[in-house]
Amino acid sequence: METLLGIKGPDFVMLAADTTHARSIIVMKEDQNKIHKVSDSLLISTVGESGDTEQFTEFISKNIALYKMRNGYDLSPRESAHFTRKNLAEYLRSRTPYQVFMFVAGYDPNAGPELTFIDYLANALPVNYAGHGYGAIFASSIYDRYWHPNITQAEAYDVFKKCIAEIQKRLVVNLKNFTVAVVDKDGVRDLEPISAASLAA
Amino acid sequence: MALAEICKISNAPYMRPNAWSSADVEEEQKGLMCNLANPYTLAAPPFENPLHNLNQIQANGDKTGVKINFDHGTTTLGFKFKGGVLLAVDSRATGGSYIGSQSMKKIVEINQFMLGTLAGGAADCVYWDRVLSKECRLHELRNKERISVAAASKIMANIAHEYKGMGLSMGMMLAGYDKRGPGLYYVDSEGSRTPGNLFSVGSGSLYAYGVLDSGYHWDLEDKEAQELGRRAIYHATFRDAYSGGIIRVYHIKEDGWVNISNTDCMELHYMYQEQLKQQAAK
Amino acid sequence: MSSRYDRAVTIFSPDGHLLQVEYAQEAVRKGSTAVGVRGANCVVLGVEKKSVAQLQEDRKVRKICMLDNHVVMAFAGLTADARIMINRAQVECQSHRLNVEDPVTLEYITRFIAQLKQKYTQSNGRRPFGISCLIGGFDADGSAHLFQTEPSGIFYEYKANATGRSAKVVREFFEKSYREEEVANEHGAVKLAIRALLEVAQSGQNNLEVAIMENGKPLKMLDTDVITDYVKIIEKEKEEELEKKKQKK
Repeated sequence: METLLGIKGPDFVMLAADTTHARSIIVMKEDQNKIHKVSDSLLISTVGESGDTEQFTEFISKNIALYKMRNGYDLSPRESAHFTRKNLAEYLRSRTPYQVFMFVAGYDPNAGPELTFIDYLANALPVNYAGHGYGAIFASSIYDRYWHPNITQAEAYDVFKKCIAEIQKRLVVNLKNFTVAVVDKDGVRDLEPISAASLAA
Repeated sequence: MALAEICKISNAPYMRPNAWSSADVEEEQKGLMCNLANPYTLAAPPFENPLHNLNQIQANGDKTGVKINFDHGTTTLGFKFKGGVLLAVDSRATGGSYIGSQSMKKIVEINQFMLGTLAGGAADCVYWDRVLSKECRLHELRNKERISVAAASKIMANIAHEYKGMGLSMGMMLAGYDKRGPGLYYVDSEGSRTPGNLFSVGSGSLYAYGVLDSGYHWDLEDKEAQELGRRAIYHATFRDAYSGGIIRVYHIKEDGWVNISNTDCMELHYMYQEQLKQQAAK
Repeated sequence: MSSRYDRAVTIFSPDGHLLQVEYAQEAVRKGSTAVGVRGANCVVLGVEKKSVAQLQEDRKVRKICMLDNHVVMAFAGLTADARIMINRAQVECQSHRLNVEDPVTLEYITRFIAQLKQKYTQSNGRRPFGISCLIGGFDADGSAHLFQTEPSGIFYEYKANATGRSAKVVREFFEKSYREEEVANEHGAVKLAIRALLEVAQSGQNNLEVAIMENGKPLKMLDTDVITDYVKIIEKEKEEELEKKKQKK
């Protein structure tokens, strides 16, 4: 039911995530943040089984922080994605698999932006644009239509707006609010959230 | 014994000539009571791969008649507002359609500054709340300051996640006042943990949410907030068969929690009824 | 006499000493000096680096290292032992965040390190850590702290302290010249730390390493030029003082 979106541009990666925390038919919370700032230039967004998402993301982010403490420099986005995937794959084959879907997004000063799609079976794939959850199905054709290799941050934000408008129009579940964050050479920062109200304005 | 050989049960303990020696009994006892020595080692369901099989048993409950998916009904709620945190709960304990108790204490007093509410399996909640309360006290003794609500809820979420899928059933709120101000967290047996301003948990939560959402805002006065909590639980007890009994209201302020009221929902019912009549008469 | 009581760490000598532990303290006394100063809103740690061999790559031999974003540690003694300790402490800092969300308090991580050291003085087949640590940083409430641990596993909190070679001299220096108002700002605290190091530095100003931590900011290692500037100021002040004394006479 939850939805994650991600777009990579020539010099940035942008992520969006809905903010609903639901339990059976009840919406418990409308302001759950699903995009986690792991380091100065790394974002991880996670959805999936409640509980698993927080536990796994925290586990990964604390390990990445530990790596930095030990070595004095950050794990690159590509390395982070591999590290995440490997852990997920190992848990998958244990008695306690984590059911999580995630994006690992980061900016490496040398290698540029990197967006990795990871699903609960620990498939990892570097992508230019992708989504998780039911909402992503609607988004995929919008991405195909509007994404181009030289996409700017403003354009990417606009594509997210189009996707979210479509999700709110066509998806039966009510996903009111989306948080948006971007990572580029200046680090990570939050952008204006996209909501039904902001789209109407 | 030949048949036993073929069926491959000859190795089972009860087939051994000296079946149930005192050593066996001791061993089994140890396995089942290991949590007395270490409260974190709860015995797992007594069959192989509980994570997988427990789900199957629960799913096939209707056909096999083996019902270990408890029915539980409760209404609990909690919200933060300018005057602190308010918790309100009912007191009915049910086992299916049978009312086991009308005077349960569904708010556990963890310490003078922290409370936990319970919904779901009462035994699970009470047990882990007691473990948590031990952990909080130890934290206090070791670090010379009270544990934060964030830390306490994290401990609970870690426990819940550890036992995820093993049959625990909890949906609790942890509320308290620490140096960061009022704190309210929702933690459940799925292992999820999330801070928030307003939660309601249990079978009656849908009804409680209705009243709560329509009357809640941050700048409630203390009296208004207490009445809102009481009222929301009352309306839940009215609609939800699994909630009822005494409505308990607790208010947590900077200097600790206070038990505001424990009122029978029947008294409230007639009181509100009377108010309606008076309104109609005007 | 003593040789019979220092075979194992866990054996007391008749006069109540754990000789192995005391030898470990001796290793600390042989290590290069480390100083720490707690300012009003900063913590300064300084060490004297071993002089680098002529053909050795001058890659930074780190004697000041981060345990977490808000905790920094300097040590005197066996560098190899310290690496193990640092690793354990770094893991503990992150696990603490993982388990109770909040970052560690300075007292907590000091206690953890001290506890680990103590364990190695009371179990067989081990030897104590040959290091003494100065641990500085900030608690979540923004207060600065400076702790010291010793190989025996005890720990104390200080306003300023030193460990390693001629620690006693430096400690006496601090006791004489530590003024609350002087360390009220970053500049004063750094100056005090460098002055203390210069008291005992064998190879002079070139081999100093100084780190400053302020609340909520990343650790700042001072460049050699900056240290040289400080040294110049300190020397000038010393000269002026001498002048004054002469004039009085």
